[in-house]
Amino acid sequence: MSTKFDLNDDSVVVIVGSGAGGGTMANELAQKGVKCVVLEAGNKLTLDDIENDEWAMFSKISWLDKRFSAGGWHGAVNHPNLPAWIVKGLGGSTVHWAGVSIRFQEHEFKMRTTNGDVTGANVIDWPITLAELSPYYDKAELKMGTTGEVTGMPHLPWSADFKVLAEGARRIGYSKITAGPMSINSVERDDRPACQQIGFCMQGCKLGAKWSTLYTELPKAEATGNCEIRTNCMVLTIEHDKSGKVTGVVYADSAGTKQRQKARVVCVAGNSIESPRLLLNSASNMFPNGLANSSGQVGRNYMTHMTAGVYAVMPGEVHMNRGTAVAGIVRDEAHNDPKRGFVAGYTLEKLALGLGFLSAFLVPGPTGWGRKVSGALEKYKYMSGVWICGEDLPQEQNRIELHATEKDQYGLPAPVVYKTDHPNDTNMRNHAYQQMEKIYNSLGSTEIYNLPAYPASHNMGTNRMSEKARDGVLNKWGQSHDIKNLFVSDGSQFSSSGSPNPTLTIVALAIRQAEYLAKEMQQGNI
Amino acid sequence: MYNSPLQVGEPAVAGADFTRRRLLKSMMLVTAALALPALPPDAFAAPLSADQKTTLLRVARDIYPHDSLLDDAPYQAVIDAILVEAESSPTVADLLSKGVEDLEQRAQHIYKVNYTAISKPEEREGVLRSIELTDFFQKIKGGLLMGLYNNKALWPKFGYDGSSWETGGFIDKGFDKIDWF
Ligand SMILES: Cc1cc2nc3c(=O)[nH]c(=O)nc-3n(C[C@H](O)[C@H](O)[C@H](O)COP(=O)(O)OP(=O)(O)OC[C@H]3O[C@@H](n4cnc5c(N)ncnc54)[C@H](O)[C@@H]3O)c2cc1C
Ligand code: SF4
Repeated sequence: MSTKFDLNDDSVVVIVGSGAGGGTMANELAQKGVKCVVLEAGNKLTLDDIENDEWAMFSKISWLDKRFSAGGWHGAVNHPNLPAWIVKGLGGSTVHWAGVSIRFQEHEFKMRTTNGDVTGANVIDWPITLAELSPYYDKAELKMGTTGEVTGMPHLPWSADFKVLAEGARRIGYSKITAGPMSINSVERDDRPACQQIGFCMQGCKLGAKWSTLYTELPKAEATGNCEIRTNCMVLTIEHDKSGKVTGVVYADSAGTKQRQKARVVCVAGNSIESPRLLLNSASNMFPNGLANSSGQVGRNYMTHMTAGVYAVMPGEVHMNRGTAVAGIVRDEAHNDPKRGFVAGYTLEKLALGLGFLSAFLVPGPTGWGRKVSGALEKYKYMSGVWICGEDLPQEQNRIELHATEKDQYGLPAPVVYKTDHPNDTNMRNHAYQQMEKIYNSLGSTEIYNLPAYPASHNMGTNRMSEKARDGVLNKWGQSHDIKNLFVSDGSQFSSSGSPNPTLTIVALAIRQAEYLAKEMQQGNI
Repeated sequence: MYNSPLQVGEPAVAGADFTRRRLLKSMMLVTAALALPALPPDAFAAPLSADQKTTLLRVARDIYPHDSLLDDAPYQAVIDAILVEAESSPTVADLLSKGVEDLEQRAQHIYKVNYTAISKPEEREGVLRSIELTDFFQKIKGGLLMGLYNNKALWPKFGYDGSSWETGGFIDKGFDKIDWF
C-alpha cells in the first residue's frame, strides 16, 4: 500500500493529476507492472467528507486557484475568476462528475471529412477512428461500470423528473430517450453499492455508487505496490535535458517546499486548463514557446461543449432533486444534419439542481435578482430542467494563455481562459432552446428559463491529437509529436469535442495509451 | 536542470491564507458580485440611523421578494450580519452609509419620497436596477443569496428537501412518482 519511490528514481512514470485521465493511467500502468508516481495538487477526501450540500462541496473540492475568464462568453463578466467548474482533489473531476458515459459516434472522429472546412473554425479529423477505439470503450465501460450492454447492468430506474422530460420529448416526436448509459451502479458491482437515488451526484457520491478514480482506480493502483500517490503536490514545471527529452518534474509538496521528481516518462493529466498551462510554464531556451509546442497549438482550440440550461415550471409537482442528478438523456438531435442551421449535434440531459445552485444560476451574475427570480424559486418543487450539451467547434483564439503579470500562490503566471462562441455554437444553442420550449410547452408549461453556459465542466482540446505535427500537439497515442517521453493523458487530447460528455472517451484513450506506453517502454523505445 | 528557473528545497507557496482568501473571493464572484472599484474607506463613517436600517431591510426584501413565504427574520439576519461586519470594517460601514444615502437621493429625485415610501414594488425595483452594479447592492445581494437560498432552515418553505443520504435517499420514497400527465 505504501510504496515509496525515491526522488532520484528516474525509472518511474510521473503522472500529473489523478482524475479521469491520470487516475486511469495510474491503475492501468500499475497493473502492467510499470512503476509510477502520481502527483496530485489537491487533497485526499474520503466518503466521510462528502456532504449533500451544494455550496459546502463547492468550496471543499473546486479548483479555486487564481484564474481569469476572458473572451466573448457571458462568464467573462459573470464568472470572472471561475472559467471552469472542476475539481482540485484526489480523483479530480471524477469526484464531481454526474456519470453520463456516451461513446462518440463514428462521424464525430471525422468532423473535417464530414463537413469540410468551416469558416472561422480550426476543425481537424482525429487521427483515430471509432473502430480503433471501440475495444477500449468496452474496457472503459467494464472498468467504470457503465450501465448498458457491455456490462449487462441495467440502466437506472426513471425518476419522476426524467419522466417529465421523456414525456415532453415523446410528445414532440423524439424517441431516443434513455436513462443511460451512466457509470453509476444500478446493482451492486465491483464492491460498490447500487445507487439509492440520493441526488447530489455532482457533490460527490456519498455511497460510491458512481464511478470515481478516488475509490476505484487509485486505491487499486496503490494495492499493486507499483504506484505511489502524493497529494497536495502541485507540479510547477517539467524539465528536460539537452537532447530535449523530459527528465522529471519540479513540484511544490504539501509543506510548500519545492521537490524534484526524476522520471523516465511524464504523463500530463491536469485537465485542459492546467495541462497546457504546465507545458507553457515549462518553456526553456530550447523550447521558448513551451514544451511540445512546435505547432503553436498548445493551449489553443479550447473547447467546453456548446452548453446551456433550460428550467421550466411544470403544472404539477416534480421534486427534481429526488434521484440521480442526471437521470436520463435524449439523443434525437445528436446527429450531424447541417439543414438545422449548424453542423454537429447535441444531447438533452436532464439535470437537477438544488435550491442553492438554482438561485445562483437561474439568472447568473449581478443582474440576477428581482421578483421574477424569487418568484421562480418559490416554485422549486414544480421545476424541471435540462442541461444542453453539444459539440462546439475548435477555434484557435479560444485558448489558455499565461497572464502577463498575475501570479498564482506558487508564483507561476495565472491562466487566462478565452472562450467565444462560433456562430455554429450559437445557432445550435438557439435550436436547442427552441426544442426545449416545444417540449415544455407540450407539457403545459409556459414559464421557461433559458440559462447561459455554466462555468465549464467539460474542458477539452488544448493539447490536441493530430495526424500531422503542424496541426496539433500529440500523435494518435497522446504522445507529444516533439518529445517522445512526454504524454498527455486527459481531455486536452481531444481533436474535436464531439457531442458526448468526455469522460468515457478520456478513460478509453488512457487505457489505450497505457497499453502503448508499457509496450514502448518494454521494447526500450522510450 | 537544464530548463528550470526553480530551485528545489525552497518554499513555493506564498502566504498561508491565500487559498482561503481566493476561495472566499471566488465564492463571491460566482454568486456574481461584479468587482467594481471600492469607494475610498472613510474612517469616520457614521453608524447607520434607525431609518437607514429600515431602508436596508426594505432593499433586502425587494432584492428577492417573498411577500407571503418569508417574514422579515431571514432578511434581517442577513442585514444584521453585514451591520456587524461594518462595526469592525470602515470600508463596509462606508459602503453602507454612502449606499443608502445614494439610494435615498435617487428615490427623492424621481419620486420625491424616501425609498421605503415608494409604494409600488416595481417602482422600487426600478430604483434598485439603477444601482444594481454597485458594490453596495452586490454586497446585500450576495449575502441574501446565501442567507435565503442556502439556508437549510428555509428549505422546507421552498419545497426543497436538502440532504437525503442520512435517510437512505429517495429510492423507497417515491423518487419515481408522478401523476399529473
Ligand atoms: C459538475 C460536473 C459534472 C460532470 N459530469 C460529467 C458527466 O456526466 N459525464 C462526463 O463524461 N463528464 C462529466 N464531467 C466532466 C469530467 O469530470 C471531466 O471531463 C473529467 O474528469 C476530466 O478528466 P481529466 O483527467 O481531464 O481532468 P480531472 O478529472 O479534472 O483531473 C485533473 C486533476 O489534475 C490535478 N492537477 C491539475 N494541475 C496539476 C498540477 N500542475 N500538478 C498536480 N496536479 C494537478 C487536479 O487537481 C485534478 O485532480 C463533469 C464535470 C463536472 C465538474
Ligand atoms: S443518486 Fe446515486 S449516484 Fe448519485 S450520489 Fe446518490 S447514490 Fe450516488
